[in-house]
Amino acid sequence: MEHWFTDIAQALVNWLMGLGLSAGWADFVLLIVQWLCIVMIVTINVIILIWLERKVSGFIQLRLGPNRLGPYGAFQTIADAIKLLTKEDIIPSRTDKWIFMTAPLFFIVVSVMLYAVIPMGDGMQVVDFNVGLLYFISIGSLSTICLLMAGWGSNNKWSMLGAMRAVAQMISYEIPLAISLLGVVMIAGSLRLSDIVVAQGNIWFVLLQPIAFITYFIAATAELNRGPFDMPEAEQELTAGAYTEYTGMRWALFFLAEYTNLVAVSALCATMFFGGWQGPGLPSWLWIIIKTYLIMLVFMWMKWTFPRIRMDHLMSFSWKILLPVSLANLVLTGFGLEFFKWMGWW
Amino acid sequence: MYGKGLLKGLWITFKHSFEKKDLVVRYPEQMPHLQERFRGSLAFDFEKCIACGICIRNCPNNVLSMETAKDEDSKKKKLMQYTIDLQYCMFCNLCVEDCPTNSLYFTHDFELSQFHRDDIKRVYHRPPELDQQEAAQKTSDQDTQTAADDKKEKQLRAMINAINKNPQKVLARVLDGEEQVEVLAAVLMADEKKLARMAEMMITDKEKAKKVALAFVKKELKEREKGGDQ
Ligand code: SF4
Ligand code: SF4
Repeated sequence: MEHWFTDIAQALVNWLMGLGLSAGWADFVLLIVQWLCIVMIVTINVIILIWLERKVSGFIQLRLGPNRLGPYGAFQTIADAIKLLTKEDIIPSRTDKWIFMTAPLFFIVVSVMLYAVIPMGDGMQVVDFNVGLLYFISIGSLSTICLLMAGWGSNNKWSMLGAMRAVAQMISYEIPLAISLLGVVMIAGSLRLSDIVVAQGNIWFVLLQPIAFITYFIAATAELNRGPFDMPEAEQELTAGAYTEYTGMRWALFFLAEYTNLVAVSALCATMFFGGWQGPGLPSWLWIIIKTYLIMLVFMWMKWTFPRIRMDHLMSFSWKILLPVSLANLVLTGFGLEFFKWMGWW
Repeated sequence: MYGKGLLKGLWITFKHSFEKKDLVVRYPEQMPHLQERFRGSLAFDFEKCIACGICIRNCPNNVLSMETAKDEDSKKKKLMQYTIDLQYCMFCNLCVEDCPTNSLYFTHDFELSQFHRDDIKRVYHRPPELDQQEAAQKTSDQDTQTAADDKKEKQLRAMINAINKNPQKVLARVLDGEEQVEVLAAVLMADEKKLARMAEMMITDKEKAKKVALAFVKKELKEREKGGDQ
């Protein structure tokens, strides 16, 4: 069980090399297969997640959630996906066509790119980058541009307003997010995600860095534009923010990308703070799935519990509270590390 | 402490998500409880409608329309067809409120969606029973008419017979004085038409009969005088 996927990959490479391909080409084909797998994982995950989100929100609001199509309404999202795929793709006449049309594509591509560095099991990583975390954070902040593209291209004041809110919010929360992760990096001594996982062999970093975990969690919620920080969408004020003018598949791509980001950020959270794929008994890839889903459930739980906060409160919370706290945590971690080294405990 | 409220909120939603979910009505299996005055689809009672058109004039959305025809015999307006194009209805109740005969009413049926737009429209045709009923009504009217006629004729004949049999006694009802009665009897015996007229008048209108009888007598007396002169 443990090595199923790595074995399959190895067998594929061996088979290709047996066909007379050079090692480089075989790796290239493997890369393509891996990407396809990631896209598949993402799609399946999103289908499950949307169902889960609706169920969780229903349960929290004393409703039942989807319960008609299939057992416990499990096929509801599939029906919705088919509906969205077959819907007419409306492009309003006054939009900036190219920007309008490509924004969702960029968004989904950027979201899928995040998965390149996430360790999805022992040795199950598309690229084991030595600056994996840096890559993750920088690619993650690219989605800001996609939202701005969508808002600008729509040529609609609500979309523009939503996009501007998204940019302001995401850039502000990017900073505490990165700084809170730095504490973990200092302890692990590496930006390589697999190293960080291995460094948590004895103790999860959530216990060593509780403040960093809390700031990361809050900042990640804002990064994902999820409630209570879903100002950019805020359907009561902005209809759907940057997504207002989108229909059919393009809108579905945005939706897909949002949930893809959710999975990626939760997986990173599991990797950085909860020991990644490490765990007793079960195979490593199952452990990361379990941890990721538990973290996503907490995200959903928070979304359906807290009311949306105001834009100015949002910004001042980021700059006046989150940033100082994460900076203080960084300084504390530095002193702590030096102290431990000085005492010879590290 | 900061964040206490947040934790409290999370705990509340956590508790709620494990509660029994019996607040929802599981609609297709379980019908919602509707209040008495719930405005479901609009229904129409063809037999009650008097084709006054008040509902049509009151409807702000032109939902209602009807076709009428003139009844040949009674010259009355008669309803042929009534249409409710429910897709435009906003259930404002104006038509229902104004109908003088309560022909329009709201039902509790709220499952109004249809596959085709045309199926939403409800057309009520004149039910054939209604025509049959009306026809039956008419013939029975005629029957009573003929019956009445029969009765009248019988009376008339009886009266004529009575005059023929005993002119003195019967005609004394309209005239005073034996002489005059005799003259009148002579006139009536001579002319059957006059007899019939007098008999009819005696049945229907005694005052008029008296006057006419007097006129007859005077005329007869005059003629007799003239004849005597010659
Ligand atoms: S309820 Fe209002 S809109 Fe509907 S038919 Fe009657 S008058 Fe017209
Ligand atoms: S107001 Fe009533 S009686 Fe008059 S036409 Fe309408 S339904 Fe018939």
